[in-house]
Formats: sequence, C-alpha cells, structure tokens
Amino acid sequence: MATTALHPAAPAVRGGLYEWLTTTDHKKIGMLYLVNSLVFFALGGILALVVRLELAQPGMQFIDEAFYNQAFTMHASFMLFLFIIPILAGFGNYAVPLQIGAPDMAFPRINALSFWLLPLGGALMASGFLASGGAAASGWTEYPPLSGPAYHGTGTDLWIMGLVLIGTSSILGAINFLVTIFRMRAPGMTLFRMPILSWTVLVTSVLVLMSTPVLTSALIMLFIDRNYGGHFFDPANGGNAVLYQNVFWFYSHPAVYIMVLPAMGIISEVLPVFSRKPLFGYKAFVFATVGIGALGFSVWAHHMFTTGQVFLPFFALMTFLIAVPTGVKMFNWIATLWRGKLVFSTPLLFAFGFLTMFLIGGLNGAFSAAVPVDFALHDTYWVVAHLHYVLFGGSVFGVFAGIYYWFPKMTGRMLNETLGKLQFVLMFVGFNMTFFPMHQLGLMGMPRRIADYASTAGWTELNTLATIGGFTIGLSMVPFLWNVMVSLRNGRIAGDDPWEGNTLEWATSSPPPPYNFDHLPEIRSERPVFDARHGRTATH
Amino acid sequence: MTSDAAALTTHGETHDATEHGAAGLGNPVLGMLLFITSEVMFFAGLFAAYFSIRASYQELVNGQLVHLWPPAQFADTLKALPFVITTSEGHTVLNVILPATLILIASSFTCQLGVNAIKRDDRTGFLRNFGVTLVLGILFLLLQAYDYTVLFGEGMGLGSTTFGTTYFTLTGFHGAHVFGGALMLAVVVYRGMAGQFSARHHDMVEATSLYWHFVDIVWILLFSVLYLLPGVKA
Amino acid sequence: MSLPPRSRASSGPLIAGTLIVVVIGIAIVALLAAGITPQRAWESFFPVGGQPVVTDRAHATRSLYDVVFYIAAAIFLLVEGLIIFTAIRYRRKPGDEELPPQIHGNNLIEIIWTVIPLGIVLFLFVISWQTLNTVDAKAATGDVHVRAVAARFQWKFDYLDGPDGPNAKVVYEQLLPVGDDGGLVLPVGSPVHITLTSPDVIHAFYVPKFLFKRDVVPGKLNNFDFTVDTPGTYRGQCAELCGEFHGSMLFEVHALPQADFDAWMAAAVKKAQQSPPPPPSGAPAGSGAPAPSGAPAGSGAPAGQAVQEAAHNIAFVNQNLSAPANTPFAIEFDNQDAGQPHNIEIKDAGGAVKFKGDLVIGPAKATYDVPALPAGTYPFVCTVHSNMTGTITVQ
Ligand code: HEA
Ligand code: HEA
Ligand code: CUA
Ligand SMILES: [Cu+2]
Repeated sequence: MATTALHPAAPAVRGGLYEWLTTTDHKKIGMLYLVNSLVFFALGGILALVVRLELAQPGMQFIDEAFYNQAFTMHASFMLFLFIIPILAGFGNYAVPLQIGAPDMAFPRINALSFWLLPLGGALMASGFLASGGAAASGWTEYPPLSGPAYHGTGTDLWIMGLVLIGTSSILGAINFLVTIFRMRAPGMTLFRMPILSWTVLVTSVLVLMSTPVLTSALIMLFIDRNYGGHFFDPANGGNAVLYQNVFWFYSHPAVYIMVLPAMGIISEVLPVFSRKPLFGYKAFVFATVGIGALGFSVWAHHMFTTGQVFLPFFALMTFLIAVPTGVKMFNWIATLWRGKLVFSTPLLFAFGFLTMFLIGGLNGAFSAAVPVDFALHDTYWVVAHLHYVLFGGSVFGVFAGIYYWFPKMTGRMLNETLGKLQFVLMFVGFNMTFFPMHQLGLMGMPRRIADYASTAGWTELNTLATIGGFTIGLSMVPFLWNVMVSLRNGRIAGDDPWEGNTLEWATSSPPPPYNFDHLPEIRSERPVFDARHGRTATH
Repeated sequence: MTSDAAALTTHGETHDATEHGAAGLGNPVLGMLLFITSEVMFFAGLFAAYFSIRASYQELVNGQLVHLWPPAQFADTLKALPFVITTSEGHTVLNVILPATLILIASSFTCQLGVNAIKRDDRTGFLRNFGVTLVLGILFLLLQAYDYTVLFGEGMGLGSTTFGTTYFTLTGFHGAHVFGGALMLAVVVYRGMAGQFSARHHDMVEATSLYWHFVDIVWILLFSVLYLLPGVKA
Repeated sequence: MSLPPRSRASSGPLIAGTLIVVVIGIAIVALLAAGITPQRAWESFFPVGGQPVVTDRAHATRSLYDVVFYIAAAIFLLVEGLIIFTAIRYRRKPGDEELPPQIHGNNLIEIIWTVIPLGIVLFLFVISWQTLNTVDAKAATGDVHVRAVAARFQWKFDYLDGPDGPNAKVVYEQLLPVGDDGGLVLPVGSPVHITLTSPDVIHAFYVPKFLFKRDVVPGKLNNFDFTVDTPGTYRGQCAELCGEFHGSMLFEVHALPQADFDAWMAAAVKKAQQSPPPPPSGAPAGSGAPAPSGAPAGSGAPAGQAVQEAAHNIAFVNQNLSAPANTPFAIEFDNQDAGQPHNIEIKDAGGAVKFKGDLVIGPAKATYDVPALPAGTYPFVCTVHSNMTGTITVQ
C-alpha cells in the first residue's frame, strides 16, 4: 500500500495536559472517553466486590443494609451510564471518522462538550456518597415511590442531575455521529460499504436520539415529584407509580441495545480480520442491526410482566421476535469463521469470549420472554445472571477485544500478547464462576437486591463461589493494567497495519495525523484496505 | 455549530479526503433536525404522562370514586376555558391563553418570511421579520407569565393534585423552550445585523427557524390537549 | 502487493483453551468432592432445585419451563458446539500464507437461519400464551379470600368474608408473617383468592414453590388465584426492592388439609372476636381497604410495675431495661415508626425464647404481659429487625 508508508510511528501521547483538556480532535476525545470509562469501570467494579463480599456468607459482616443498597445501585449506575455506554461511544468516536474516511466529527467542539459532560455528571452522581443519607439506593431503575422524597435524600437528587447530564452527553453525541455519518463519508464510501462498526454506531445513535430524551422526561418528572411537590408518581395523590416504569423502560430497553450493538460492531470488525475472510452476509447483518433497533422499541414492558398492569401477550411476542435478528447475527459470525484461517491474537480470543458468553445471555433472556416463566424468575438472581451474561459476557468482552484491536492504532505500539491471554483466561474463568451459579440461585428462589439471606436457605456455597469468581475478575485487571502501562512505553512498534485490517483506519499511520488521512485508497467495497492489499482480483 | 462546520470546511480544502458535494442539507440544519427529533421524544414522554394521569384520575364524589377531569376544585375556575377564567371572587378575567396562541402562530409565519427573505438576499426583510418574531416570542412569554400569576392567585401550583403537576410541568417546559428559541433568535438577529448571513450562507437562520416552528407546533398540541379537549364530568 | 510475513504465534487458543479446560476440570472435581452428584447438578437447572412445586398453576409453569429449557439447551449445545468447532478446526497453520476462500454470503442460508428461529420463537410464544391463560385464570369457586397487605417491612394477611372490594369485611387479621401461629394459612385443594395492597412503596408477593410472583402496587389492586395441592410450609419473600430491610421482608405459607384449615379459621375468628387485634394504623390506605380498628390488647398487669419501652427510627429508645424477678410484669411498648412493624422478643442467656410480643405497626402502642422470669440478664430483640436489640435486667 502506497498511501501512508511515509509516516514514521509517532509517539503515543502527543502534546501536554493542556492540549488534552482542550482538544477537539475526535481521536483524542475518543481516547478520553476510553480512559474516563475505565476509571468508572474500576469504581463500579470495586462496588461490585463490596456487594460480593457482603453476600459471600449469610449475616451482615462488612456493611449495613442501607449501604448495601447504595452499593449495588451505584455499581449498576456506574457500569451502565458511565462505563459501558460511554466506552462504546468512545470507540465510535475514535473509529467512525477514520472508518468512513472523514477528517473529524461534524461538530468537533460539541464533541468535546459531549465528553466533558460525562466526568461532570459522574462526579455529581458519585458525590451522593458524601450527601447525608448517602447515595441513591433504589436500584439503578430508581422506581418511585421508593425513590420519592419520603424515603431518600439528596443522593437521589444528585443521581438524577448527574444522569440528566450524562443523557445530554449521549444525545449530543448521537446527533454528531449521525451528521458525521450522513454528511462526511469519503467519496465512494456508500452506506452499504460502511464498516459494520459504523453501521452499529448509526443505529445506536438513532436509538439514543429516540429514547434518551424520554428518560430525561422521566427523570425530570421524578425530580419535580421529589423537590417541587409534584404528584406524577405519587399514588397517595392520584399519581401513577407504574407510569414511571413505563417511561423508564421505554428508554431502558432500547438502552440495552445501545449497550451491546457497538460491541457487536467491534466483534464484526475483529472476526473478519482474524479469520481473513469477509464478513458473511454483510447486508443481512445490517438489516438485522436495524431490525433489533426497531423491535427494541416495542418490548419495554417485559421488565414489568409482574406488575399486573401491562398487556402481556404483545410484549411477550415482540420479546421473542427480537431473538430472530440476533440469531441472524450469531449465525453470520459463525459463518465468517467457517473455513477461515483463524489467527488467535488476543482480540480474537475476546471475540470468542463474546460469542460463547453472549449466546448464554441471549438464551437465558429468552426464558423471561415466556411470561409465566418470568413470573417465577423475575427479580431473582436469574435476571442478574442474564444481565451480566449479556453485558459482561457480551459488551465487556467486546470492549476488551476492541481495546486490544485498536490500541496499536491509537498509540503506535502493540500490547503484549502473553499478558493479554493471561487476562483473558482469568477474566473468562472468573466471569463464569461469578455469574453462572446465579442461574441456580435464581431458580432456587434467591431474590435480587437483598443484603442478606438465611443460612438455612441453601444459597451459601454458590454465593461464596460467586464471590471468589468476582475477585478473580478483579485479578484479571492486574495483567491488563500492567500490559497497558508497559506497552505504552516499550511495546513493539505497531506500524500502520499490524493486523492486516480491512477498513480505512488501517490505511493511515499509527497514530493517525491530526486530520486522519493524507491520501485515501480507492473505496469500492466494504474492505478498501483489503482490496488495496490484494488487488481487486482477490475479493471475489 | 456554524463555526464548527466552518472550521471543517477549511480543513476540507487542504485534505482531498473531504470533498463533499454542496448539495443537500447543511450540517447545522441536519443537526438541528436531529436535535428537534430528540426534543419531540422529550415532549412525547411528558404527553404520555399527562394522558396516563388524566385517564386514571379519580375523586370521591358523594362517597363514590369516579373518574373526572379537571378535578372538581378547579372545575369552576376553568369552566369557560380557553376564553375566560372565573376567579374565586367571581370575577371573570379574559384568559390570555388564546391570544398567546395566536401570537405564537403568527410568529411562526414571520419567522418563515424572514428565512424566505434571506434566501432572496433581502437582508433588511430578514432582519425585520426576525425582529418581529423575537418580539412576538417575548410577548408570548409575558402572557404566559400573566396566566401563571392568575392561576397562582387561585391557589393553583405544581402541587395542586396531578392537574397542577401536569399543567405547570408541560406548559413550563414549553415556556422554557420558547425562551431558548428566543435566545437563538436574538443571536441570529445580532449576527444578522453584523451582516453575517447571505443567500448562500444562512444555515444558522434556517436551523433557528426550524426550532421556532417546532416550538410553535408543540404549543398547538399543548393548547389543544389542555384547553380544547373536553373534560370529563362526574 | 505481497503479504507481509505474519509474526504472531498461533498457540494462543491452545494455551488459553487448555487452561480453561483445566480450570473446568478442577471445578468439576471440586464439585464432586463437595458431594454434589451429577443428579443434583442436573436438578439445579430446574426451578426450586428440582423440588416439586405445589400449586395447580405452578405445575403449568413448570411444564412450560421444561419446554423452554430443553429448546434453549439444544440451541445452546448446537451453536456453542459450532463456535468451538471453528476455533479448533479452522486455526491457521504456521506458514500458511494463502487466503481462505472469500465467501461473502449466501441468501438461501440466510433465509434458513431466519425462518427456523422464527418458527421456534413463534412456537414458544404460543405455548407461553396458553400457559399464561392457565396461570392468570380466575378461579370460579373457592371462599378463601385473603388480602395481603405489604408495608415496609412486614406482611399482614387479612382474611375477608368475601371477594375484596369496598364492602369486604376483615374477619381475621393475621399480623405475624412467620412462625407457628403466623404466616399465610391456606387450605389444600380449594381455590384461594389473593388481593394485594400496599400503603407505601411497591413490594412483590413471591413464593418460590408457587413459581409465581406479583407486584404489590400502591394505588392499584392486583389479584390472583391458585389452589395449593400439597400440605406443607413454604417460604415466601418480598421480591421488589422496598428499602433497607427488603431482604428481611419474609413470610411463610402454611398449607393445611381442609379440615385443619377450617378448624384454624374457626379458632382464629373466635380469637378475633374476643380480643380485637392491636390497631394496625399506618396500614392499608390504598384501595378502599377499611382500616380495622380495635383497642390494644388488654393489659391487666399489676399497676405501677409497667416497664416503658419505645421504638424510634428502627431502634429501641431504652436499650437497658430492668424488671422485678419472679413476678409477671408488663411492658408498655410505644412504636413511633409510622408503617413499621416492631415487637419485643425476650430470650434467655441460652437463646431460648421466653416471651414474644405481637407485632405492632406504628405509630401505635401495646402492652405486653411478660411471664415471671428468674433473676438474670436477658437480651431482647425485634423479630422484624434483628439489629434492634437491648438487654433487660431482672433482679
Ligand atoms: C446488553 C444488554 C442486554 C441485551 C442484549 C439483552 C437481550 C435480551 N433480553 Fe435482557 N436485560 C438486560 C440487558 C440486556 N438484555 C438487563 C440489564 C436486564 C435487567 C434490568 C434490571 O431489571 O435491572 C434485562 C432484563 C430482561 C428481561 C426482564 C427480566 C425480569 O426482570 O424479569 C427480559 C424479559 O423478557 C429480557 C429479555 C431479553 C431478550 C429476549 C433479549 C434478546 O435480545 C436476546 C436475543 C439473543 C439470543 C436469543 C441468542 C442468539 C440467538 C440465537 C442463537 C437464535 C436462536 C434462538 C432462539 C430461537 C431462542 N431481559
Ligand atoms: C456493564 C454492566 C455491568 C458490569 C460490567 C458488572 C460487573 C459486575 N457485577 Fe454487576 N450489575 C449490573 C451491571 C454490571 N455489573 C447491573 C445493571 C446490576 C443491577 C443493579 C440493580 O439491581 O439495580 C448489577 C447487579 C449486580 C449484582 C446484584 C446485586 C443485587 O441484586 O443485590 C451483583 C452481585 O453479585 C453484581 C456483581 C458484579 C460483579 C462481581 C462484577 C464484576 O464483573 C466486576 C469486575 C470489575 C472489577 C473488579 C473492576 C476492575 C478493577 C480495577 C480496574 C482496579 C483493580 C481493583 C481491584 C481488584 C480491587 N452486579
Ligand atoms: Cu417489601 Cu421488598
Ligand atoms: Cu429489556
């Protein structure tokens, strides 16, 4: 490839602190997203370990019930709103302009604003721990009346305000992505030649645009109830408590796809590159993504089957249907691997982690779509198992695949493969040890969100096992952090295209220059860099 | 937003990777349309809450729980809405909401006239129309403030049953959006006076007018739902 | 353009795979060592650890679960098998620089793997709908009507004289949610109608062996019917987060043969008529539930010897009480926590229960008559809130 061979590997971190704080470069902002999200991953993870420590044995050993509720509420709030959604937006920020051959996002300064709203919102949310009465403690769902003024103090208000800021960040980010994708694609980059990650970011942005404002409205109504004497959700004064749940889940179900679609996009980048084949059924994949996005708006009440206030058959049907496009994706991935020549670098290992674990999470989610079964499983540890298999087994494995995949592009240096594999094994084993037993606990009838259980309930062994698993996941972060720190300085020089990638980001230097490309290769398929490497004959 | 886009155009000139056709919507206009989409969803959430609460409101009438709307305690005050309000002393006051509505609708037209003017490169026409739009917008806000004082005087507030909660939340958030739109108008007028817009370059003008139309349409919906939709009597 | 040589070793999956297999092996050995038989492991994949479920509706749900489980397990084995197969079969051999066949897709196969899952989920939908109709069906007969009142953090069961509604009367109010003389007592074999109300936040009625839960929503009257088919005591628990002590909001279901139930009910009604239960103020406000009233349980303790105790903010105000030895005495208990159930349970040094007072839902007062105790110090506790403790010195 003649395009960018002239660039020497540039140093990883250019410019001083001031430049990082004021940057409007989408690549730097993307990396800021990544770092900020990982910090909140650590905070959320530490809270999770507090939860696990308390649950390891019956009896209250380390914290009291009030703090327990704060711990899992803030664990989930950090993980969802400040880790997984932003980190996927961060990958989008970094990769989408590169992948579509654009010099930057459409609105670079709004992009910077979107990012800076996150640490601000996060700090606001976290400051609840300092408020009297502690942080928000009604679960990440914050159902009223429990989250109302009668039961919880300032921490909940801070949680609401923080989340409104985070939501605003998402909305601005989504507008930016959409304008960038619609208006700034390089010549030849038609929509159906766009890399799948960019497609998933597109669909995700539509979901954000349509659903996040609805969450904002729910939060504002809750805030009015809490602080200005409103009665939206106050049954004692004619309000409707279930109304909040409807509005909340109208956002939060699409939100779970906001939390997984870009991770599916990452997997769809990694699998073709490391099996050295094109993505099988590109168009079917795109349609499946759009289908998941569309169906995602019609299933919200599957979180409310037991309220006795929703029309069950409709939501059950739509929930079942959503398994179909997801299945299409799963089969396309497998077909991509089929007869490939798999190169098991760390990104591919994590991608396999995604495939094997997300499958479990999808299937145990389908149990809950069968309404009577959900009557038994709702609000038990079965649901906790489901959500971690999709969110950790799916999204988090996807995130680490992405980190190992793009780290060379971002920094110009490779991560160490041995440490990467060590991290993978620890994480994979720890993950299953933590969350698999939760299926059994749920079936035995252990409700979620309880700080304590009777020693006679028969749940002790599995809880202890889960706690050991949780700490194993924590341990897996040691080789990761070590790897990043060492490789930033001493990692092998990556070169422009260490993986023999397919998409445009591999056609520029590592790290790329400020406006990304000096020259673009010709774009005649969804794999322009592959085409340039092998000549047109090899593609068909 | 405009300056962001402008910055990009400059880079576009030096990097051949970014040669895009000039056809189609400008980035700020597309961005504004998307932003309006999100605003529509925000109001959709509030409207959904309103309808759900309205449908489930119940009150004890002669020992029986019955569904009605508005609540009995406000029924007198609001009897002849949207044209008059009967205060507790029995005075009837002209309800300002109908005039306010007409004013806001009119402002949408003047706004559009302004956009058409700048497309013809008629800068005075554009400035005059946008100036009028801004004044009408402020007038609407003043009338709404007056409406609030009358209702507050009647002892109505955010906490007066779910009626007060929904009424003041919905109209309040709409008012805040009118205020935001008025700020955008003011910025556009200010920049227009500095001669920044022309027939070729007026994305910001168009984006602002789109927002203003959106605010207007939301009000028409709100007005119909809050004042024209017949109440439910016991 | 020629391929740059690939320098990566391909041993990754071997090492990782071996490690994972070794760990799984160790786990299996550990499980076996801990006495977990394959049988038990298999049963742990079914509701309530494979134990029998105990209502008519639960059997329907269990059958549905089994179908869903076997289909999911089959899909799991097939798809997971394919994934692992590719990982083993299609690894690149070292030095193999040739590109694999560049297959872009195949419409027929896309259609196949869209249509087959579609068929499966439609089938699952139909059978779940059918089961749902069974589970949600209203029982035409049955004269046991219970209104379960869930308040933070205590259950109360009101036995009604007929279907719940504005005119329903409470014939017996079961204040104790657990224990031999508490719990939701039900007959075996005849339909039971339950309605749910809450004066404060959302709770959920959940009995694992019923394979069922339903939210208790303040301001809405949820209801469901079922028939228990096996006598026994079943654990129940609040399943919707309702605050700090959500985890201790337990109850028991005692399913008795019809004759025993009738006898219990007759005795309970008689007891209720003799001494009306303590006023559960702060209890049901929602759904037109008539608040049952009644004077506090009769005192009768010798005057001047009453011990004063109060509960405030989930704590005892006096943590050290004293009382005379070898004579019965009275405790005047003032529960100041609105909506909170509290009581006093006195134990001896060995942990045996010497006295257990009825629950009082605050704000309300009650007088407890404590039998004579020998001299010594006795710990006391609120049975709802195990962190509410104190000691009573008897001398
Ligand atoms: C990334 C996030 C994510 C994703 C992708 C999903 C995906 C799905 N979820 Fe999940 N869900 C959550 C995050 C997610 N969920 C969270 C966080 C909660 C809990 C919230 C809370 O209460 O705190 C939750 C809760 C939840 C509930 C409520 C449970 C309860 O509280 O009682 C339900 C109920 O139906 C459900 C269903 C599903 C279904 C059917 C899918 C489907 O999309 C899955 C589809 C995938 C597959 C099925 C596998 C692949 C398909 C095939 C191999 C084809 C063949 C398969 C069949 C024919 C079945 N989820
Ligand atoms: C992306 C989302 C995400 C992720 C990644 C996780 C990760 C983890 N979760 Fe989370 N969890 C949720 C989302 C997530 N969770 C949600 C939505 C809920 C529902 C909440 C509710 O009911 O409201 C929930 C609830 C939940 C519960 C149930 C609580 C209850 O119902 O009472 C439990 C219990 O075990 C748990 C455990 C864990 C553990 C052990 C991890 C581990 O995987 C975490 C591992 C990570 C780390 C350990 C951090 C890494 C550490 C460093 C980088 C620094 C090194 C530091 C040390 C090792 C000390 N989670
Ligand atoms: Cu009541 Cu949880
Ligand atoms: Cu969902």
